[in-house]
Amino acid sequence: MSKRYADAFFFTGYYGLIALAILFALIPIVIAVVLSFDNRTFIGPFPPTDWSFRWYEEFLTSDYYHQGLKTSLIVSSTATLFSTVIGALTAIAIDRGRFWGRGVLQSLFISPLVIPTVVIGFGVLMFASRLGIVDGLPRLIMGHIIITFPYVVRTTLAALIGLRPSYFEAALSLGATPYQALWHITIPLARTGIIAGAIFAFVMSFDEVAVSLFLSDPFTYTLPVALLAQMRANLNLTIAAVSVIFIIVTIVLIWALDRIAGLDKIVGQGVYGRIR
Amino acid sequence: MAFARTSAGSRSGTRASRVNGVLLLPALVLFLPLLIGPLAVLLDESLKPYEAGRIGGTEGAELTFENYTELADPAYVHYFLDTFRIGLIVTLAAILLGYPIAHFIVRKASPWLAKLLIASLIGMLFLSLIVRIYAISMAYGPLGPFNDVSWLFGIDPRSPAKTELMVIFGLLHTVLPLVAITLISTIQNINPRLEDAALSLGAPRWKAFTSITLIMSLPGILSAGIIGYAFCISNLVVPLILGKGFVLFVSNLIYFRFSEISNFPSGAAISILMMLISLTIFYGLMRLVRDKNGEARE
Amino acid sequence: MTTVLDLQSIEKSFGAVRAVDGVSFDVARGEIVALLGPSGCGKTTTLRLIAGFEQPDGGRIVMNGVDVALREPYERNVGLVFQDYALFPHMTVAQNIAFGMKHRGTPRAEIPKKTAEVLERVHLSGVEKRWPSQLSGGQQQRVALARALVTEPDLMLLDEPLSNLDAKLRHHLRIELREILSKTGSTTIIVTHDQEEAMGLADRIVLMNAGRIEQIDTPERLYAEPKTRFSADFIGQSNWFEGTVRGDGADGTAQVDTPAGPVSIPLVNGFAAGDRIAVCVRPERITLTGPDLESTAPGQTRVAGTVDAVEMLGSDIRVWLKTANGAQIQSSTKYLGGPRPKVGTKAAACFNAADCILLEAEGKRE
Repeated sequence: MSKRYADAFFFTGYYGLIALAILFALIPIVIAVVLSFDNRTFIGPFPPTDWSFRWYEEFLTSDYYHQGLKTSLIVSSTATLFSTVIGALTAIAIDRGRFWGRGVLQSLFISPLVIPTVVIGFGVLMFASRLGIVDGLPRLIMGHIIITFPYVVRTTLAALIGLRPSYFEAALSLGATPYQALWHITIPLARTGIIAGAIFAFVMSFDEVAVSLFLSDPFTYTLPVALLAQMRANLNLTIAAVSVIFIIVTIVLIWALDRIAGLDKIVGQGVYGRIR
Repeated sequence: MAFARTSAGSRSGTRASRVNGVLLLPALVLFLPLLIGPLAVLLDESLKPYEAGRIGGTEGAELTFENYTELADPAYVHYFLDTFRIGLIVTLAAILLGYPIAHFIVRKASPWLAKLLIASLIGMLFLSLIVRIYAISMAYGPLGPFNDVSWLFGIDPRSPAKTELMVIFGLLHTVLPLVAITLISTIQNINPRLEDAALSLGAPRWKAFTSITLIMSLPGILSAGIIGYAFCISNLVVPLILGKGFVLFVSNLIYFRFSEISNFPSGAAISILMMLISLTIFYGLMRLVRDKNGEARE
Repeated sequence: MTTVLDLQSIEKSFGAVRAVDGVSFDVARGEIVALLGPSGCGKTTTLRLIAGFEQPDGGRIVMNGVDVALREPYERNVGLVFQDYALFPHMTVAQNIAFGMKHRGTPRAEIPKKTAEVLERVHLSGVEKRWPSQLSGGQQQRVALARALVTEPDLMLLDEPLSNLDAKLRHHLRIELREILSKTGSTTIIVTHDQEEAMGLADRIVLMNAGRIEQIDTPERLYAEPKTRFSADFIGQSNWFEGTVRGDGADGTAQVDTPAGPVSIPLVNGFAAGDRIAVCVRPERITLTGPDLESTAPGQTRVAGTVDAVEMLGSDIRVWLKTANGAQIQSSTKYLGGPRPKVGTKAAACFNAADCILLEAEGKRE
């Protein structure tokens, strides 16, 4: 019987930790959602006494945020497009190839996940200025390509790992050229990995702050940089409203990711996975 | 390019390896310079002497290691110590909270609950860092309804230690899903029959869990920890906002060099140092984990 | 003989699926019982219920006179050998074997001696320091067996013990397994889908289908006297003739009118004229003769047809005969040399009334 008591004790702790983790994760989000409907113009005691949509209106009518959102969308979609096309091709080459330096090359392509974002931001800033690029937009796109590229390479590689080379070889034996086989066989088979990579890339780029902080200029700034500046200036509930919008968009993205690639699959491979 | 041309042992012969070369071309020509360029410029800049009032290092001056040697100054030590210490606390907390969730999802949850939890974890990971920081300061900050939570950790909410707790919360909110998701695949790779076997051999459930599943996931726990740690120590925005100047990471130091005093050579030197530390921790420890793991299996 | 395990009307459902539906059987001390059935028949769930990994929705699981249905696995003295062996990969062979002894309270000082003893018993001495991954499949299976045996459990449960091994090794290990189990006098339940494995290892077979027990019998009787059509079909091959019983023959035999023609049967099992019955004849009880042999001995049945297919199996030869009404009859005889029958030649299948197994006719089941 003492074994049973020990088990009961142990699993109380086990479920206690799970409950603690869920509470810790959820409380801030619930608070932010509630506060976004607060009618008060100062941050008063919780919960709010008066409700309104004023912070949503403020966000939707502010030129400052609009400018940031526009820049964010341009930067993130350009960087995602670039990373998805080139990253997918790179992953296919790495998966198929058995060439010297393959491991090194792969580590190199994945390395931006590990290099501190501050370093990437600072580095791109100086690199761009030496190339004579002083405009915010191209700098931001450069920085965001670096940080999004590894996600596409990773997810595409993960999708390709399970594929037998015989598919490609069968296509060749049926008379297809390597390029036809690639276009009609390999890329469609890796499709879910590529799309999942694109979604990851877009999300990571859209949320990115540290790199953008270095590369923005007074006229070109991303939405997170704009929010960060507001947050440092004064605690303003507009950000709570933006948070709710972000949370909704996140939920939609998760749903899309599940429909396209299947969440279990993504998690099964690990988001960062093991370095091969 | 040299890589592609030497591809002798390719699966489908030389024609296919030529295709590989073409596939790699865009990355080698467009991406690689974009990655290597900034790092090379940083390295170059870090070796230039700093001249006050000038943006960027002095051109044409003799190369110097001054920017590195000055980092040995005790004044800088606490940046590094804070970074590594807080990173460690957050990583350990993330493992402690993340492992039970991952285990629950893999072994105990019904399919729909598992899916819901996985979706929540990915959602938590996808959530904008700004939203996260803001929400945490609203909930646990001085004006938040959960300000007094810090008493649970023996910390007076008005003391500077509270800011450190806020930084820990901020980092933990991102690292927790990261660690939990990584652990899910680790636990998925452990045969559930092993725990059954331990039970049938007389071990109580907690013992079967600790002596089989937990021990076998140690390499996975370690790599999840390394991923989480690498994230923590390179973070800028969490200490910038939640640290309020009391808690400063090395990243903050780099940012100040850029934004406040425009000492680019010194910022570059710290960047190079920080990058080396991150890469060493990540690839070095990862390799160690893998080798140790391989040994036990063979 | 004392009863070690007594299952009384065990029930277990998963959602809407009744995995185990009123299963009752008992196992005597020292007996080897096989739980046999196709995949999804509930045999693995029954095993997991006995081991304690699942709890029954209804019924009693009595071990040595005590109902253990609600006990945790570690509170039952049951040894388990898993289908994939489930050897702990991070422990050596010795550590694997010591695991159970530690938790079942064997004095620490005795562990090395007992480990060596049990390894010798499974013919695997000297592998104590190896890792499971360094052993072959057959060796891993024996370590799993040793790990379960060493704590001297009241009951051993073996889940598809030989299914992960290749065919040659499987036969060899089956004989060895039988020897080890009977030498240690272990009371054992073997779960398997392989009738040969069940027949070769068990004293008694519990045949399961769709969560229920079809028949409990010795291997011989299960083959010779199947009680249901499922039993007859699952164990060995069968030819079926369905029809209505007609009259009572002068020599104590009766006849059944079937689409293939009249079939002589012994009137046992209490069937009467007018009953619809199914007659099962094993292929090895059917001999092939030339087509024009007219006279049949009393109690013998002859069905004429053409040779449809011939399969040469080395020691045996199997011939399919197609009858006039389109049915197929399978015959299996020892191959005694000479050319094989040609496809398309006329022939007749002969069998004796004594070789007929009589069952109640069921709804058409194929």
